[in-house]
Amino acid sequence: MKRRWDTRVMMEIAVAAALALILGMLRLYRMPYGGSITLEMVPILVVSLRHGPKSGAWSGLILGLLKLLLDAYIIHPVQLVMDYPLPYAVLGIAGFFAHQPLTGVIMASIARYVVHVLAGVIFWGSYAPSGTSPWVYSLSYNASYLIPNAILAAVVIMLLMKTPLIKPEGRKNGDRLV
Amino acid sequence: MPTFKSITIGQYIPGESLLHRLDPRTKILITGFLVVGLFFIDTFWGYGLAALYIGIAVLRSEIPAHYLLRGLRPVIAIILLTFVLNTFMTEGEVLWQWRFLTLTREGLSRGGMLAIRLILLIVGTSILTLTTSPIALTDGLENLLRPGKRVGIPAHELAMMMTIALRFIPTLLEETEKIMKAQMARGADFESGNLLQRAKSLLPLLVPLFVSAFRRADELAVAMEARCYRGGEGRTKLNELAFQLADYVVLVSSGVFILWLAWAL
Repeated sequence: MKRRWDTRVMMEIAVAAALALILGMLRLYRMPYGGSITLEMVPILVVSLRHGPKSGAWSGLILGLLKLLLDAYIIHPVQLVMDYPLPYAVLGIAGFFAHQPLTGVIMASIARYVVHVLAGVIFWGSYAPSGTSPWVYSLSYNASYLIPNAILAAVVIMLLMKTPLIKPEGRKNGDRLV
Repeated sequence: MPTFKSITIGQYIPGESLLHRLDPRTKILITGFLVVGLFFIDTFWGYGLAALYIGIAVLRSEIPAHYLLRGLRPVIAIILLTFVLNTFMTEGEVLWQWRFLTLTREGLSRGGMLAIRLILLIVGTSILTLTTSPIALTDGLENLLRPGKRVGIPAHELAMMMTIALRFIPTLLEETEKIMKAQMARGADFESGNLLQRAKSLLPLLVPLFVSAFRRADELAVAMEARCYRGGEGRTKLNELAFQLADYVVLVSSGVFILWLAWAL
C-alpha cells in the first residue's frame, strides 16, 4: 500500500503553520482601522512553493484552525469558515506557480482577498440594515491591510528565492536543503 | 519591535469545573449547535432564554467574568455600530425624530436583537476555548472527523499536524526571540525604514528561523519514522476519549433545548 503522506512534508507543514502563527503576532505596522502588517503569510507561501499547492493548503488550513482554537471571534457560522480556515488555505494556490513565485504570491493574495471580502459581505449582509451596501466597505477595508501585507510577502519571498530555502524542484534523493 | 514576554497564546484557563471535565466532543458539538441556532431565534423571549442558558454555562464553568468581558472588548465597536445602524436606519413606526435621525420601534428591536446575538455568540464560543485546552480540542476534532475518512478527510494526519504545531509554538517563539536578539547584537535594525527596507532587514531573522524550523521538522520526521510511525492506521492512544454519563445528559438536553429555541422562538 502506498502511503499518502510523507512524514517529513507533514512535519514541515505543521512547523510552518506554527511559525506563521508566531510571525502573525509580530506586528510590523498596526493599521489605524484594525488589521496589521505581519509576515504571517510567508511560511505558508514557502511551504506552497517547496511542496506544492496541496501541502500549502494544508499548512494554511492548520494555521486557520489553530487561530480558531486559540483566539477566535465567531459572529456568524459562515464567517467562521471564511475568516479562519479558508483565507489561509487558499494561499496554497501559490504552489501552482512554483516556477514564478511572484505570480504565485500575487495569485494567492488575490484569492485570500476574495475570501475576506466575501466574508465581510456575508457578515454585514446579516448585521447591517437593509439598504446599506456592504460591498464598498468590505472591498476597501480588506484591501487596506491585505495590499501592504501582500507587497511585504512578495518582497520577502523574492528575497528568499536567492536562498536555497525555496527550490521549485523540491528535494530529491536525500538532498538535504537545511 | 515587541518582545514576546507579554504574549499569551490561547485563552485556556485550567480548572476542574463540570464544563472543564466534559468531553471536548460534547463541547464542540454544543457550540456548533449554538452558533447556528442563534441565527434562527427572532424573539426577545428566545434571546432571553438563550442568554439564561449561556449564563448558566458561564456559572458552571467557574471562569471569572472578567475573562469573558475581556473577550468582548475588541468587538465592542462592531456591536455598537450594528446597534446604532440598525436602530436608526430601519423603517417603521416612528418613536422619536431629530433632524436626519429617526428612531423606529422596528429599528430598536432589530438593533437590540442583533447586538444581543453578537454578544451571546462571542461569549458562548469563548466558553469553549476558555474551558478546553487546544490539545483536547484537537483530539475532539479528530474524533468527530473520523467518520469523514471514507470521503477522504485525513482526520489523523490533520490532528497530528495540529498537535505538532501547537507543541512547537513555544519552542519557535523562544527561537525567534533568540535569533532577534542575536541579530540585534550584531547591529540588525528591525525598527526603522519603509516597508521595503524593513522587509530587507527581516531577512537576517527569517532565514535562520526558517532553516532552524525546517531542520526541526526534518529531525522530528526522522525520529518518528525511526519509531515506525506509519500514519494513523492501527494507531492507539494513551488516553482514549470516552463519553461519560454527564456528556450524554448535557449533549442531549442542550441539543434539544437549542433546537427548540431555534424552531419555536
